[in-house]
Amino acid sequence: MSDRLRKYILVRLLLTIPMLLILVSIVFVVLRVLPGDPALAILREGASEEQLDAFRASMGLDKTIPEQYVEFLSGAIRLDFGESMTRDRLVIDEIKTFFPATVELALYSMVVVAGMGIISGAYAAKNRKSPADYTIRVASIVLYSIPIFWLGIMFQMYFGAQLGWLPVFGRLTSGNVPEVSITGLYTIDALITGDFDLFIDAIKHLVLPAMTLGLVLGGAFARLTRANMLVVLEQDFITAGRARGITERALVYRHGLRNAFIPIITILGLQFAALLAGAILTETTFSWPGLGRLVVDRIFDRDFTTVQASILFFAIVVAGINLLVDILYGFIEPRIRY
Amino acid sequence: MSKKGNNSIDTKEELNTTLSEEGIGLLGRFLRGRIWYGAEWYFAVAGATVLIAILLMTLFAPVLAPYDPNGFVAAPFIPPGGGHQLLIVRDSDANNVNIDSLDQQVFGVIRNKNGDKVARELTDSITRYGDLDALALALAAGEVDFAFVDELDESMIPLSVNNLTIVVRGMGTSFPLGTDNLGRDMVSRVIWGARTVMSVALLSALFSSTVGITLGLISGFMSGLVDRVLSLTMDSLYSFPGLLLAIAMVAMLGPGMINVAVAVSVIYIPTFFRVVRGQVLTIKEELYVDAARSLGAKSSSILLEYILPNVIPSIVVVFSINIADAILTEAGLSFIGLGLPPDIPDWGYDLSKGHSFLVAGHWWLITVPGVLITLVSLSFSMLGESLSEILNPRLSDQ
Amino acid sequence: MATQKNKSKANENPLMQIEGLHVRYNTRIGQVSAIDNVTFEIEPGEILGLVGESGSGKSTLGKALLNMLPSSAGVDGKIILDNENILDLDYEGIRDLRGRRVSMIFQDPMTSLNPVQRINQHLLETLDVHKAEDIKENAISRIKELLERLGIQKERIEDYPHQLSGGMRQRVMIGLGLVLNANLIVADEATTSLDVIVEAKLLDQLREIQKEYGVSIIVITHNIALIAELADRVAVMYAGRLAELGAVEDIFDRPLHPYSQGLLKSVPNIQIDDEEELYRMPGETPSLIDPPKGCRFHPRCPEAMPICAEIEPSFEEARPKQWVNCWLYQDHTDKPEQRIVVKD
Repeated sequence: MSDRLRKYILVRLLLTIPMLLILVSIVFVVLRVLPGDPALAILREGASEEQLDAFRASMGLDKTIPEQYVEFLSGAIRLDFGESMTRDRLVIDEIKTFFPATVELALYSMVVVAGMGIISGAYAAKNRKSPADYTIRVASIVLYSIPIFWLGIMFQMYFGAQLGWLPVFGRLTSGNVPEVSITGLYTIDALITGDFDLFIDAIKHLVLPAMTLGLVLGGAFARLTRANMLVVLEQDFITAGRARGITERALVYRHGLRNAFIPIITILGLQFAALLAGAILTETTFSWPGLGRLVVDRIFDRDFTTVQASILFFAIVVAGINLLVDILYGFIEPRIRY
Repeated sequence: MSKKGNNSIDTKEELNTTLSEEGIGLLGRFLRGRIWYGAEWYFAVAGATVLIAILLMTLFAPVLAPYDPNGFVAAPFIPPGGGHQLLIVRDSDANNVNIDSLDQQVFGVIRNKNGDKVARELTDSITRYGDLDALALALAAGEVDFAFVDELDESMIPLSVNNLTIVVRGMGTSFPLGTDNLGRDMVSRVIWGARTVMSVALLSALFSSTVGITLGLISGFMSGLVDRVLSLTMDSLYSFPGLLLAIAMVAMLGPGMINVAVAVSVIYIPTFFRVVRGQVLTIKEELYVDAARSLGAKSSSILLEYILPNVIPSIVVVFSINIADAILTEAGLSFIGLGLPPDIPDWGYDLSKGHSFLVAGHWWLITVPGVLITLVSLSFSMLGESLSEILNPRLSDQ
Repeated sequence: MATQKNKSKANENPLMQIEGLHVRYNTRIGQVSAIDNVTFEIEPGEILGLVGESGSGKSTLGKALLNMLPSSAGVDGKIILDNENILDLDYEGIRDLRGRRVSMIFQDPMTSLNPVQRINQHLLETLDVHKAEDIKENAISRIKELLERLGIQKERIEDYPHQLSGGMRQRVMIGLGLVLNANLIVADEATTSLDVIVEAKLLDQLREIQKEYGVSIIVITHNIALIAELADRVAVMYAGRLAELGAVEDIFDRPLHPYSQGLLKSVPNIQIDDEEELYRMPGETPSLIDPPKGCRFHPRCPEAMPICAEIEPSFEEARPKQWVNCWLYQDHTDKPEQRIVVKD
């Protein structure tokens, strides 16, 4: 590993710390500092002063802001999120229960996104100005302009209700519970334990939600990939390669894609954030028991601790993914690695 | 002297000069743009057209909308095109009906099913019945002399059994887009909803742009620690799932148009920040700013005179795309239930309501708002993208 | 790898013959006549300079020699290499041509090399793509020899382009141009982006290569001084047509075409008199969409005659081995003025 790469990774790691700090602070500001009394927001009108005070004390809201901040931070670092306010469970356990569902959804959606990106990028860039190119462009913009939940509902209506091909709610047919939980991802667990029926059931339930999330995000991603490919294919080394007799196909796939791939990697981190945001809506539409849906449900439930912790958890995950992507970038970009 | 890479065709410079030298007027240049920019031009024009239509809809909402969007004007769940009514009388009266003389007569309408409006136009004496059969019997028995029934229920009226005849069709108004679950006209809701959507989106975009641009200018120009800290903050914010942040903010701030607008706007501040900061840094390096400085120009005037004008094209593009995204985010918030309060007509709200009634087969409640949200968001995106291509053209592709 | 090529230049069959080449581009605002009726020959083992302003068509000509014009361009005429018209080749033939029979060196070596490909991969790929079986056996050693010859250390060949200096990268480019034993190298503004010292070194190398391997090099540039140093012959292009072509000494000592004269006059000369102003040619390059009728230079020509605005002159040998496209040196029934006879 060259010095440059070492330095790069180190810088990235170090930068993550202030970044996390800022993220945690933002969450703190939003949830504690913004106007709006959390106590009232949670307990609503009709609560007596005593109840409000008791609540504030239990939440540590009666302390000064800086004190609250420190408490908040220390809790975050230790991943000690306390107990849920409306369920008799530790918040961390709640997160552990629901997060894998989101991961599974995100994973399969990413497959759709990546597929759309590669196809549209390579194809459209190579046959620029062709009717196919324009169709793909328009389709991409249309797709990412569709509200995710609306597309989901349309899918539910058509594929679920009218055609009856696919299930529209949940991760598995009700009553079907996996015996063993290793990763929490039903498809993976099913493959590990060799439970083929479970696998099929899980996949069937994944199709519509993953397609919904994947298509909408894929539209945006396809647009970016295409733009990147165009930039790359206009570069001089492509012309130079052509002047040496390299085939058009090799130019696009071997030279073009490999070069376009690098800046695209940097976008993936952001795509992941968008994926999580979209997951919230998708999970709500399809009653998918993931972390996004947990946040929404618990907001209405007034389960303040769970909401707060889940949002924090999202922030940490996002920061982590960004770090990984950055490091990966360092490895594949020769200008950094060497 | 062309210093570009080998892809440049020397003639491109030539063509550029030819186009601008010809001194054609604005309209001419606009139409020339069609040949010059090709598809981008069409995209931009299409987007702009839809937007102008929406803008008109927004501005002239009070005039255009037939009804009050919050008013319960008709029966609930009237499908698109429905709402017309039939006038039914006893067979014996069939030839004596004179619409003008319906004043002061007693009418029968089905409780909560027939449109009040028609009856109210003609008279105050209305008797409501629980269902079609009861109404038919009452009419046959002479308790009422005229009955209004929704056209769509025509097949269910026991006409012959009770010796009743339909004498007039198509009375009253139909509702081109139907009514919602509370009997509100969808067309009016759509038109007024445009106003809401545009207001929120514009408000939030204005807010994000102001904050983002200001911070971007400061950060880019001042560099140093201020720049570092601001950039890091913005990067962190940028990488956070936007909707989640908006959800958290609305949950804390409470419902209301301003709150939603602010919540949505925070997500987009980093985008403006980045773009502006990037431009500032690029321009800072260009010689003429140095030249101006060496001539003693003040920092602030450099900022305003040199940097700002160059930054504007990018801002316009980001603004457009920002609005497109803000519309979707706001709709998302409404869908979850954290959007605007119910008394404000809003497409997102209609969507979320419509979802619940989908099972009952009332498809039009979510279809229309959904299509519209897509359409408006799409138009802003197309406008933004094609403007981006036009203002920052890539190398030629001949 | 020194091939035993015959190093005498004169009286050989020409390496490449360009006959009546026309190239037109269809652009959004009209049809551009980028190259109009260009005819000349390239001798084996010579360095031919191709000079002209921007828009003269020299880059287009360079691309034409590799059949790398965009598919939307309208091309007429012939370019004959090894007894075949390269403009008629099918796709496989074109691919074979590029790199193996004619190769190109580009202006900016940084952007002309694939940033994610190592140098040796660049070279190997070129060999691979051409299925050069006859050379493949000694491919690696051959490459190493070539690079050493060019002054690139063996240890550097696994590097990525960004790790090399500008001059080295350009040498890699030259290496890529030579690796398949092409007979003709087209150097399109090859030294424009380099600084003068590096440029000088590179020129030396080009000359050596030419001497040793007997390749012909077409040097496309707007820098006349470069041609003076490097080339054997010079072709001057203006507005898509050849204005003049001849040996370097002849053109520089005694330019015949008014445009060449103007061009040489505008080169700054250290010995300029205090009173003499720097010469600038009046007027601007013409539009190629609607070029001037007759001789394309006539609106700017100090010696223009009535016929120049009406009829195109032809590219003729005004004296042995020097061709000019100018009415000054030609007769025509409609031309009352006497032509200038050029004595040796």
